[in-house]
Amino acid sequence: MSKFSGLATGKRVDGYVSRRAQVLKAVMKLQARLFFADPQWVIPNIIAPFIFTLVAFFLFGGQATSSSFLLYLVLGAGLMGMWGTTIYGSGFSISFDRFNGTLESTLAAPIPLSWIVIGRIVFNTLQGLLNAVLILVIGLTWFQVGFGLVNPPLFFLAAVCTFISLAAFGLVLSAVVVLSRKGGFITNAMEIPVYVATGTMFPISILPWLALPFAYFLAPTWGIEAIRLSAIQGYVGIGTGYWTDLGVLALETAGYLGIAFLLYKKVEAYAKRNGTLEEY
Amino acid sequence: MSKQGPNPAYAVEVRGLTREYTTRSFFGSVSKVTKALDGVDFAVKRGELFGLIGPNGAGKTTTIKILTTLLTQTQGDAFILGLDVRKELYEIRRRIGIVFGGERGLYNRVSAIDNLKYFSDLYGVDPAVARERIPQLLKVVGLEDRAEEKVEKYSRGMKQRLHIAKALVHDPELLFLDEPTIGLDPGGARDIRGMIREMKSQGKTILLTTHYMFEAEELCERVGVISKGKIVALDTPSALKGSVKDISVVELRTYGATQEYVEELKRLPDVVRVVADLDSEMQLIRVQTPQGANLLPQMAAKLPNGARIIDRTIKEPTLEDAYLRLVEE
Amino acid sequence: MKNTERLGFPERFLTALRVFKGAFFFGRKGLIIWDSWEMWVMQIAITPIAQIGFFAFLSIYLKYPVSVTQYIVIGNALQSMSFSAVFAVANITSQDKWQGTLPSTMVTPANRVALFIGRAWFQVLLSALIATAGLVYAGALFGVSFASANFVGIAVVIFLTSAAMISFGLLISAVGLYMRTALIVANVFLFVTLFLSGVNFPVSSLPGWLQPFSWTIPLTYGTTALRMAIAGSSLTALLPTLGWEALDGVLVMIVGYALFSGFETLSRRTGRFEEY
Repeated sequence: MSKFSGLATGKRVDGYVSRRAQVLKAVMKLQARLFFADPQWVIPNIIAPFIFTLVAFFLFGGQATSSSFLLYLVLGAGLMGMWGTTIYGSGFSISFDRFNGTLESTLAAPIPLSWIVIGRIVFNTLQGLLNAVLILVIGLTWFQVGFGLVNPPLFFLAAVCTFISLAAFGLVLSAVVVLSRKGGFITNAMEIPVYVATGTMFPISILPWLALPFAYFLAPTWGIEAIRLSAIQGYVGIGTGYWTDLGVLALETAGYLGIAFLLYKKVEAYAKRNGTLEEY
Repeated sequence: MSKQGPNPAYAVEVRGLTREYTTRSFFGSVSKVTKALDGVDFAVKRGELFGLIGPNGAGKTTTIKILTTLLTQTQGDAFILGLDVRKELYEIRRRIGIVFGGERGLYNRVSAIDNLKYFSDLYGVDPAVARERIPQLLKVVGLEDRAEEKVEKYSRGMKQRLHIAKALVHDPELLFLDEPTIGLDPGGARDIRGMIREMKSQGKTILLTTHYMFEAEELCERVGVISKGKIVALDTPSALKGSVKDISVVELRTYGATQEYVEELKRLPDVVRVVADLDSEMQLIRVQTPQGANLLPQMAAKLPNGARIIDRTIKEPTLEDAYLRLVEE
Repeated sequence: MKNTERLGFPERFLTALRVFKGAFFFGRKGLIIWDSWEMWVMQIAITPIAQIGFFAFLSIYLKYPVSVTQYIVIGNALQSMSFSAVFAVANITSQDKWQGTLPSTMVTPANRVALFIGRAWFQVLLSALIATAGLVYAGALFGVSFASANFVGIAVVIFLTSAAMISFGLLISAVGLYMRTALIVANVFLFVTLFLSGVNFPVSSLPGWLQPFSWTIPLTYGTTALRMAIAGSSLTALLPTLGWEALDGVLVMIVGYALFSGFETLSRRTGRFEEY
């Protein structure tokens, strides 16, 4: 009788949704555990938006007397924070496994790679929320101004949609990083331009016209607009209105997800052709 | 190459497996095609413990990677438990366990139990089952006392045992072990081999690769010798040894033996092969010859001045001798 | 160390110089991040322009007068060299650890200071280049006028600030010998300069208790002097500020070296070379 006999065994988890839910939950739990093992590594992800916001606080200085201005600032800061972690996180989604030596274990798993990456990206974007909350706390205590939203339910909806669009964008980025040698460069280089182009701290209307297509193409730009419209009294923005903004965001996000899944098929094919993702 | 389906008696079936790598030169114009595998054929019966042995670069790892669906073949077919590796990836992966071995493959900054929970979810094990199975596995591999510690604190041997637990977490019927005892101290290696025997007696099919001949001889029911991308022999260890049974091995322990002496021995009539380890103070030289002990006087005569034969033994040829003959041809 | 100390001063200097020169070129190769043209483009163009742009547009949006926007543009133009100056130097130490070469370099009797300074000096040229590019953007893209500028003064400020910021990078390298997280420290420091060094607003706007910290950072003197030089101040007028900057740079280097030796001894005692 083998020592390995008599161990618990039973039915498997099958079914499209339950399998993916199981994997997402497991990946996020692992990410959380790894995060708490080394929490200091979140700092590089959030330091840029954090400091940019502090500087912005100072520059806004005299004008932050009204709560709407404060809100504007805090929302912008939060969004920068989430962009920052999305960009960093997507770059690291797979190289994380490379550094750990767990790349083969990950590629050998009986689930498409994209789902494992989605779990990581969602967790990373959540870390951006941490930054947003931190900045909110500082803003409220420093300036001691109240925090009131124009339309809380719509605000929440816009926030959730923006979160999803960020994660979807991160997913595309993570595939680009793997498939292209220039990928790492792209994620590094795009951080600050993205803060500028998506109108996190100032409306895109003041940008030179060259930057506008870039801005419009990034779904979170529209999310930011919707968030501001539903939160800040008297905000006008681009002028397209809340529901149009959300509509464009939804369309573009769907586009990102489509592109991402296509790209991930390529990633897996690449991995199988070469037996590894090491060389990228 | 026939287009018939897989044979249900086999857990692993490989037909004409070829894998080519194209490397481009710096300017991309000239490319070189290397054949890592060149028409490999073999099959592993259900419940068998099969060994794949061969020198480094012979194609062992490439074969394993193809069989575990991590690498696509250029040509040929491979069936795992009756499923085609090209088509039914995820189903195959759910039914096989892989031990890559070494330091890689585990998340070092979290605990053993967290690692197992993660992989069990990744492999679709029902959470209720996992809750019972994981502690049981940790107990069987002897890690229950240190299950909550971070893996980075584990010794090499402990990590290897955790690898085995991880490979078994989803109760696969077929296991692939790639050099499972490499880098382990003798005690640790013995433990792992013991576990391999236990897994086999539970009825699992096991394919392992190794370059320790004694390990292959000790564990495997059948052995495939792979060299330069081809299978050069496929049989039980005793049958393979039989191919060299006409040859005795004269094992000499010497002081003062040199490379020139080894070369002289090679030139003696009826000497098939000489394998020498000259690195230590006392050298070990194994001479394969059908003459056996009869050749001893001539071997002694060729000794350089000041060198002595301390000990001589006539040995049965081992799997290693058979293997060396096979891969050097 | 003992061997070289028995030699006379000229010999020690020459040995140090030889090590210095070797390390200079090794510094170039040892920096993985500079291997590709894309990283160069990013360092010299994309990030500086984006950073200057962010704060410039912010000030425009807040309807500050043009002089404020220009203040901000110049500050950020100079600050944009910090990545190269500070972060990349810290990188060298962590890369030593990554590649496992740290123990062997520490054991040579070569003058250790010369070794590391040598590697870092390549950065001085690079940083100066980036800052210069930043000023080009300031003029060409953001409308800063150089009509009455003292170009010699500008050049002096740029080179001195580069060198002085390198010494900060060396300080962080010293920290990097011992900690796992030198890169994080470097990252934080980099961005903190945006806030403390008179880049986007004068140091006097900061709370009183913070201001002394600002003046420990060479960049703070650099931004002050640079604005003066662009406005046309003569070298003589710049001298006090530059003097303080040089002094600050030297002090930081001394502290860095002290930390270096201290950490080196401590590492050897606890055996933590390969910790990270």
